[in-house]
Amino acid sequence: MSRIIVGPFNRVEGDLELTLDIADGRVEAARVTTPLYRGFEQILAGRPAADALVVAPRICGICSLSQSIAAASALRALEGLVPAPNGELATNIAHAAENIADHLTHFYLFFMPDFARREYADAPWFAAVEPRFKAVSGAAASAVLPARTRLLHIMGLIAGKWPHSLAIQPGGVTRTLDLGEKMRLIAIIAEFRSFIETTLFAAPLEAVTSIESIAALDDFVEGAGAGGDFATFMRLARALKLDELGRGSNPLMSFGAYASQAGALFSAGVYTPRTGENTSLALGLIEEDVACAYMRDSSPDPALAQTIPDADREGAYSWAKAPRLDKSPAEVGALARQAVDGNKLARALLAQKGASSVMSRVVARMIEIARLTQAAGDWARALRLQDPFCVAAAKFVEGQSAGMIEAARGSLGHWVTVKNDVIERYQIIAPTTWNFSPRDGQGVPGPLEQALVGVETGDLGARAPAIQHVVRSFDPCMVCTAH
Amino acid sequence: MAATETFYDVIRRQGVTRRSFVKFCSLTAASMGLGATGAVDMAQALETNERVPVIWMHGLECTCCSESFIRSAHPLVKDVVLSMISLDYDDTLMAAAGHQAEAILEETKAKYKGKYILAVEGNPPLNEGGMFCIDGGKPFVEKLKWMAEDAMAIIAWGACASWGCVQAAKPNPTQATPIDKVITNKPIIKVPGCPPIAEVMTGVVTFITTFGRLPELDRQGRPKMFYSQRIHDKCYRRPHFDAGQFVEEWDDEGARKGYCLYKMGCKGPTTYNACSTVRWNNGVSFPIQSGHGCIGCSEDGFWDKGPFYERLSNIHPFGVEANADKIGFAVAGTVGVAVAAHAGITAVKRITTKGSGSTDGGPPA
Repeated sequence: MSRIIVGPFNRVEGDLELTLDIADGRVEAARVTTPLYRGFEQILAGRPAADALVVAPRICGICSLSQSIAAASALRALEGLVPAPNGELATNIAHAAENIADHLTHFYLFFMPDFARREYADAPWFAAVEPRFKAVSGAAASAVLPARTRLLHIMGLIAGKWPHSLAIQPGGVTRTLDLGEKMRLIAIIAEFRSFIETTLFAAPLEAVTSIESIAALDDFVEGAGAGGDFATFMRLARALKLDELGRGSNPLMSFGAYASQAGALFSAGVYTPRTGENTSLALGLIEEDVACAYMRDSSPDPALAQTIPDADREGAYSWAKAPRLDKSPAEVGALARQAVDGNKLARALLAQKGASSVMSRVVARMIEIARLTQAAGDWARALRLQDPFCVAAAKFVEGQSAGMIEAARGSLGHWVTVKNDVIERYQIIAPTTWNFSPRDGQGVPGPLEQALVGVETGDLGARAPAIQHVVRSFDPCMVCTAH
Repeated sequence: MAATETFYDVIRRQGVTRRSFVKFCSLTAASMGLGATGAVDMAQALETNERVPVIWMHGLECTCCSESFIRSAHPLVKDVVLSMISLDYDDTLMAAAGHQAEAILEETKAKYKGKYILAVEGNPPLNEGGMFCIDGGKPFVEKLKWMAEDAMAIIAWGACASWGCVQAAKPNPTQATPIDKVITNKPIIKVPGCPPIAEVMTGVVTFITTFGRLPELDRQGRPKMFYSQRIHDKCYRRPHFDAGQFVEEWDDEGARKGYCLYKMGCKGPTTYNACSTVRWNNGVSFPIQSGHGCIGCSEDGFWDKGPFYERLSNIHPFGVEANADKIGFAVAGTVGVAVAAHAGITAVKRITTKGSGSTDGGPPA
C-alpha cells in the first residue's frame, strides 16, 4: 500500500487536500482535509444582531447571496416576521441567478476541463472535446463567461452589488423595483434562456424538464439535444461509466428552497437512495462531531455549540467539523434537492444504481438550471410593483432561531442565539461541510471520503482523472466548509 | 535570433485581430483616464515590451475578488486580460493541477526573476505557525514570501490583502495579517474593497502589465485613479442629503423616492472608492442604488467601526467635507502604516523612474 497526498487542487473554490491510501492501483481509504479556517463564529459573537447580515455573507464570495438569505431567515424567524411577498419574489430571482451561475461555472470552468487533460489524449472523443473545454483557453468558456455575466446583471438590479450583496433583509429586500427594471429582469432571463437553449441543451427547456426516465434521457441525448454541451457530457459519462464512479449511498438531504406565497419551489426532506424512501426532515437530528476536526469539544447541537480551534488536537486532520443527520453522514446538493423534491429523472438515476454517482450529480445540476430558469421568469412576472418590497424589522430582538436554506451546493444552516440585540452564539453548517466532512467519532468517513474508496488510479496515482471527476462532482466550496 | 515575446505576440497568436487590439487599447486608456495619447502609448508598450507574467495566489479568503474579476465589463477582458495577458498561475481557473501547478511557480520565479507581478487575493494568518491556511503542505505565509522574493511588485487584491478584512475583525482568531505587514521590501499596490470593482481590478492589472510600473498611489498605497473620491462626493442621492431628505425605514416613502440613506447607516461620506461612478455588475448598480447604505468596505478596519445599521456619529450634515478629511488622516496615522508607506513609496519611485520602455535587451533564456 502507498499513501499519496493530492493537492493543492485548482479549479475548486478555496484550498483542498486529499490523503489517499492506494493498494493495487485502487483507493483503499481517503481522508479529506480542509486546510483553511478564519473563525467567523468567533467574529460574529458580540456584534449587533443585524450586523450578521453584513458579516455572515463574507464567508464565501461565490455563494454570498445564499449566506445572506440564511442570515436573513435566521433573524426573520427570531423576529417572527412575515416578509413582503415582493421581497420574497425578488430574493428568489436573485437566489436563482446565483444558483444557476454556480452550476454553469461548475460545469464549464471546473468540471468539463478535466476531460481535456493529457491523460485522455488517446481517447477517441478527445479531439472534439479538448478545444471546446480545455481550461482557460477552451472555446466554450469564451461564450459562457459573457452569458453568465449578463445573467448576473440581475444581481445588479436587485442586490446592487455581487458578490457580497446587502439588499436581502429579514422583511424582504431594500430594493424597490420599478416597471422598467421588472421588464429588464424579464428580458435578462429570456436572453439567458435562449443562450442555454442554444449552447447547453440545444433544445427548449421544456424538452429538458420533461425528461422523466433514463430511456427518455438517452433519447434526448441522441435526438433533440444531441448538439448541446449537456449531450457531450452524457456521451462522455457513458464512455467512461461515470454512473458507476464516485458512488454515495448516504441519505440525501434538502432543507427546501425558494419559499413564496405559492409554497416552496423545492421541498424539504430526506431521500434514501437504497430504498427510494422520502421522509420528512427533523432538524433536531442534526449534530456536529469534532473527533477529527481541529476543534475543541463542544455541544453536538449546532444551536448550542461553540467553535473554538484546537490546532493540537490528537487525531484531527481537518478544520471542518463532521455534521451528521441522525448519526449518519448525509449528501447534499442539486441531486439531493431534486430527489427530495420528487424529480422523476433524478430518482430514476438513483434507483438504477441504488446510489448517487458522478453522473447523477452533474445531471441534477442540469435539470436544476432548466427548472430555475423557468421559475425565475415566472417570479419576475409575478412582481406587483405597487405593493411593498420590505416590511419593517423589529427594533429589538432576542432568542434562539435557525435559518435553513439551500445554496447551490446544498443545505446551508445558520443557528443564532441573540441576547439583548447582541449575537451571543452563531453556528454555521455549510453544504461542503456535509459532503467533505472528515470522519466522526465512530470512524465513519464523510460522503467524499466514501465516494473515493474503490476509485481506480492505475499507474497514474494522484494524476488519475477519475479522482478529479469524483472530487469535482460535488462542486466543493472549501471557503464555506470550515469558514 | 529569438525575439522578445510581447503581449501583442501572444494576443495575435491567440487569434485576436489587430482591430480588436486597437479597440482594447483605446477603451482601456479611456477608462483609466490616460488622456488623448494614452491609447497610442498603450498599443506601443504592448507591442514592444516583453510580456509581464502575472501570478495570482490565494491565501485566507473567500474568492470574491476572483469572482468580481471574471465578470468585468472591461473590453475583451476574457480574451485579453484573463487568458492572454498571462495570468500564468491562478488556483481557481488554471488548467494544470497539483505539483504540475507548483512547477509553474518555480519556473516563473527563475525565468522572470524581478519581472513578474504577484497578485495576492486574501492574506496570511500568522497564529499557530500559519496553520490556519495551509497551501501545498506549507503555511501560505511561506509560499507568499517565497514568491514575493523575486517579484517586481505586488498587487494586494481586496480588503483582505490590503487591510485584513473580515477575518481580521475582532477578535481576529487566526491573526490574519495584511500583505504589507509581511512583505516589506517590495512595492505594493492596494486595491481595497470587498470585493474591489471588476473594472478597477482590470484597470490596475492592465496598467501595470502594460507599462511595467505601478500607477500613481495615494498615501495609503491605493491607485489614485480609482480611490481619490468619496462615495458621497459622486452619489446620485447627494442632493437629498443636502436637502435633509432621508430614508427612515426600508421601503418607506422616502426610500421609494430615492432619499439619502445616511440615517440607515450609510458610510458613503467616509469611504473612498469608485462605486458611485464606475458602479457594479457592468455599471448596472451599486449598493446605494439597491436601497442599502454603503458599509465602507474599502476602508481600513471597516468591520470594527461600530454597527453597520447606525448612522455615522462622527460627522454632522454640514461639516462632512472637513470632517471626512480628518477621518482620512486619522486612519493613515493610527494604523501605523506611515513608515511602511514611506518605504513603499520610495520603492515605487524606483520602479516608476525605470520607465516603461525598457525591455532589458534580450529574451529570457
